[in-house]
Amino acid sequence: MSTMIDVRGPAAGPTAPAPRRRTARRHPFSASRLSKALVTLVLLLQVYPFFWLVTTSLRPAKDFAAGNPLAVTTHPILDNFARAFDNGDIPRFLLNSALITGVSDLLIVVLGMMGAYALQVIGFRFSRLVLGLFLLGIVVPVQVALVPLFINYTDVGLLDSYPSVILPLVGFALPMSIFLFMSFYTYVPKETYEAAALDGCGPYRLFWWITTPMSLGTVATVVFVNTIFIWNDFIFANTFILSTGKKTVPLGLQSYLGSMGSTDWTATFAAVSVTVTPLVLAFLVFNKAVVRGLSGTTRV
Amino acid sequence: MSRNGKSPGGGPRNRSLRHGNGGVLPGRNRRAAAVFLLPPLLVYLATVAFPIGESLFLSFFQWDGITRMKFIGLDNYRQLLTIDSTFRSAAVHSLVYLAVNLVIQLGGALLVANALTYLRRGQDTLRVLYLLPAVLSTVAIALLFQRVYSAEPEGVINQVLGAVGLGDLSRPWLSDVHTALVAVSVPEGWRFMGLYTVILLAGLLTVPREVEEAARLDGASETRIFFQIRLPHLRPVWLTTLVMATTYGLRGFDVPYLLTNGGPGVSTELLTTYMYKTAFTSTDYGYSSAISVFIVAECVVAVGIIVALLRRRGEALL
Amino acid sequence: MNARRGLWSLAGTMACLLVAVTGCGTSAGSPAAVRGSVSGPIEPHTITWLNARPSDGPVIKAVADVAAEYGKTHPGFKLDIISTPDRPSYLQKVVTLAAARKLPEFFDVDATPFAEKLRRQNRLVDVGNLLDEFGAKHRFRPLALDYQKFDNGGVYGLPLEFAMEHFWYNKSAFAEAGIEPPRTLDEFIADCKPLRAKGYIPIALDGKDGWPLERYLAYYPFRLQGNAFVKKLKRGDAKMTDPAGKAGADFIARLGAAGCFAKGFSSAGYTDATDLFTTGRAAVINDGTWDLGLLATDTLPASLRNDVGYFKLPTAQGAATGTDDYVVSSGIGMAVNSQKFDPLVKDFLKYLVSRYPAKYAAMGQLSPTIDTPTAIPGNATPVYGQVIREAERLGTRTAKPWDTELDPTTNNVVQQNLVLLAQGNMSPEAFMKSVDQAVTTNSPRYFSK
Repeated sequence: MSTMIDVRGPAAGPTAPAPRRRTARRHPFSASRLSKALVTLVLLLQVYPFFWLVTTSLRPAKDFAAGNPLAVTTHPILDNFARAFDNGDIPRFLLNSALITGVSDLLIVVLGMMGAYALQVIGFRFSRLVLGLFLLGIVVPVQVALVPLFINYTDVGLLDSYPSVILPLVGFALPMSIFLFMSFYTYVPKETYEAAALDGCGPYRLFWWITTPMSLGTVATVVFVNTIFIWNDFIFANTFILSTGKKTVPLGLQSYLGSMGSTDWTATFAAVSVTVTPLVLAFLVFNKAVVRGLSGTTRV
Repeated sequence: MSRNGKSPGGGPRNRSLRHGNGGVLPGRNRRAAAVFLLPPLLVYLATVAFPIGESLFLSFFQWDGITRMKFIGLDNYRQLLTIDSTFRSAAVHSLVYLAVNLVIQLGGALLVANALTYLRRGQDTLRVLYLLPAVLSTVAIALLFQRVYSAEPEGVINQVLGAVGLGDLSRPWLSDVHTALVAVSVPEGWRFMGLYTVILLAGLLTVPREVEEAARLDGASETRIFFQIRLPHLRPVWLTTLVMATTYGLRGFDVPYLLTNGGPGVSTELLTTYMYKTAFTSTDYGYSSAISVFIVAECVVAVGIIVALLRRRGEALL
Repeated sequence: MNARRGLWSLAGTMACLLVAVTGCGTSAGSPAAVRGSVSGPIEPHTITWLNARPSDGPVIKAVADVAAEYGKTHPGFKLDIISTPDRPSYLQKVVTLAAARKLPEFFDVDATPFAEKLRRQNRLVDVGNLLDEFGAKHRFRPLALDYQKFDNGGVYGLPLEFAMEHFWYNKSAFAEAGIEPPRTLDEFIADCKPLRAKGYIPIALDGKDGWPLERYLAYYPFRLQGNAFVKKLKRGDAKMTDPAGKAGADFIARLGAAGCFAKGFSSAGYTDATDLFTTGRAAVINDGTWDLGLLATDTLPASLRNDVGYFKLPTAQGAATGTDDYVVSSGIGMAVNSQKFDPLVKDFLKYLVSRYPAKYAAMGQLSPTIDTPTAIPGNATPVYGQVIREAERLGTRTAKPWDTELDPTTNNVVQQNLVLLAQGNMSPEAFMKSVDQAVTTNSPRYFSK
């Protein structure tokens, strides 16, 4: 796999050498030094919250309430984790979230690839119209559909089931997924298909043996972005899930609310630390694939 | 499989290579098209398009979910467009929210990605670390920023301002009607900056080294190289990220809702939070549907702009 | 498989739309069920209670306990308890379920205009009537029932809690500032300055939730006219610009101008506010007895344990209500769905009413009934028992919170603009105008004249 988006040779496009100028040359390290400073600053901004999350979950509740909330505790304790597990069924929440996220991701990828393949590769008479229909939903906020969906689900008896959460999550993620896969398919050269077709490859085998293996980078992107949104989804889950046994992690975090909205923050943070772990682990394990995927979203 | 040389005119982006039916496969494959298209289309129709249609329908009614629906024609729209000042503010706020997010996620990310190209080592590690905030839970992010912006007790920003002698600027960032909107927009931008940094960095790394070196030898400054070589080269990648960032920016809801719940006053009310409240606090489903329809219309415009951009890019999407 | 599901959904939607358009879907309960009369044998099955309470709180524990006992004598009975403690998320659930006509046997509602709509559709069982029938009504504190009363005088929510709201204060902060607990609302404002001078945040306030500041708006009008003002205001029969309303709006503006609230209170949550008080940084907090565990037990830091006192809602010149009349609530009520009312539900309710209070009071809580004394927990400070005894001394009326009286849209306008009023971003005049305008626009949809 190689460059998809930009295949202009060195001489093509606006990359011709810049005109000569008489200005004095900058110190060769200045750009580099500035860059290092910026990169370090951003690194702090990006990593500190994580550090804060974990240390807060180890902080005594009173210390968190009384002291500087952003400080680090000197007496780390594990009480918060005990409360987190006592008051909320964390394994169950994790299981539900994993199930919903996994199935949704799978559907988003498979359906997105299928849609993009039909629209971009196979093509049909009204493909532009259909594409327009899909693109219409690309920016529509999910809240638009809550009430109608709720009533529809009641009518077909889907309320309070896993599909009732998964389906709209998939539906609202599909346009972006289709868009990304289409962007990618644009750069598969036509000759590849023609050659395969000459070898007697039909559209189904082409999809399975050629397009799919090539689009793994885009798959990584689609999965990464959607996993984050779905793992954090509160609104669909809160609307369509009723049973305690089907609660996802974001709903489960309400287990640490007391009367009138008072919150056991340190227990909440312990729970957040625990529930974010699978995501972080998955991310660390697959980070190469994710980064390469993200990088390849546009060029693979 | 680089196609250098195969399609010097921009490869498959070239429209002439496509078949009349929009596809690139030779021959007609109606049945295959149906097999591939129908599953995603049906899920999409059932969960997105149809509910939007229902919203359109509901928007001509007054309905509280309990009593009988009452047909009121265009009254909801009349109120929305002529009387409702909260709605107008919310529409403007949504655009500001989007703009802040785009500045951070595209502008900031581009700056950082550009800086990363100057590093000899550590790029891979940094890419992973930059992506971390995206994984954090929304609840934690909201609480963190609430503390960061706080004035009493003093949060990080105000502490820093005080330490560098800018104490006069310190304020309760989330309560000041002038700063609250930008303050609630920043966390979402920050959270996904890493994502776009990684994508843009990948684009930057494809800029041919030789061209840059030649320019440097000719005495071009790094700024000039950035604007005249890297930026033009990056354009296609940038457009894809623009579509992504715009999409998620217009869908923004959680962080503002959790941080300020639209306040103080209506200064951080977005179209999405306003619609949510109209539906579920006021139980005015007809009116909230009218807001939905407006949002959808606004999205059609956004899609139009995106499509226009893609056309200029020469991509064969539409 | 997905394709088929999509089709089903599509077909279902079509059917639903038709039903909705023709109006056949607006089902109403039967008047008999509303009165609580059912006939037939008790057939145990699973019933559901959708509630807005902390999932491991004393109310849930006590109800679950009672349900388990009942289940022993009625095999096949199960009470499914679904908790959504975050109130906005809970309300979203209830209103969507109501729209889809899927409300379970029991669900929590306050006596709000929304609940009034359900009542008018005969969808709520008359709980007051039921309590009469069970011979249990006299056991309940009059104010506990009063709080649940709808505008027609009926009770449609079973009270499961009882709480008094007081102003809790830090005695040494007051001593340091050289002030005494205020007797009038005007003195209350005047106390802020000396407290600020000593480095205290005068009043800890949860500004994000809206209702706590709305309480402060209600105090002056309540002192001047009792609940009559808000009852008239919400229907447009009184104006915010009337003297009582103006006094309320001015009170907020003056509190704000005197620096009574923390800078940036509008984004502070409930826990932020209680933390400010229980760690000694804020001098006063307006809080209910539901927080006694925080305010009057040894969970307080040692330095504060004997420093926490309370005073009642200060009075005002020309007050029509007495010093023992203030905000007393019996919490969100448990409503009974008339469309799912059957002999089992009725029998379980009877059992619940007889068994619940003792279990609840044993957990150190103030029961909505008179005959069940509260067990003071072992780690309580003296003020715990003292405040519990206030329940015997209460007046005959409770200051109704405005958030359950006003229609929800107006309420939202009030809550949002109150913050601006307190921050000085909005004048009392502009505030009053916005409220009156909101009432004019929105109240006709909720209150029939």
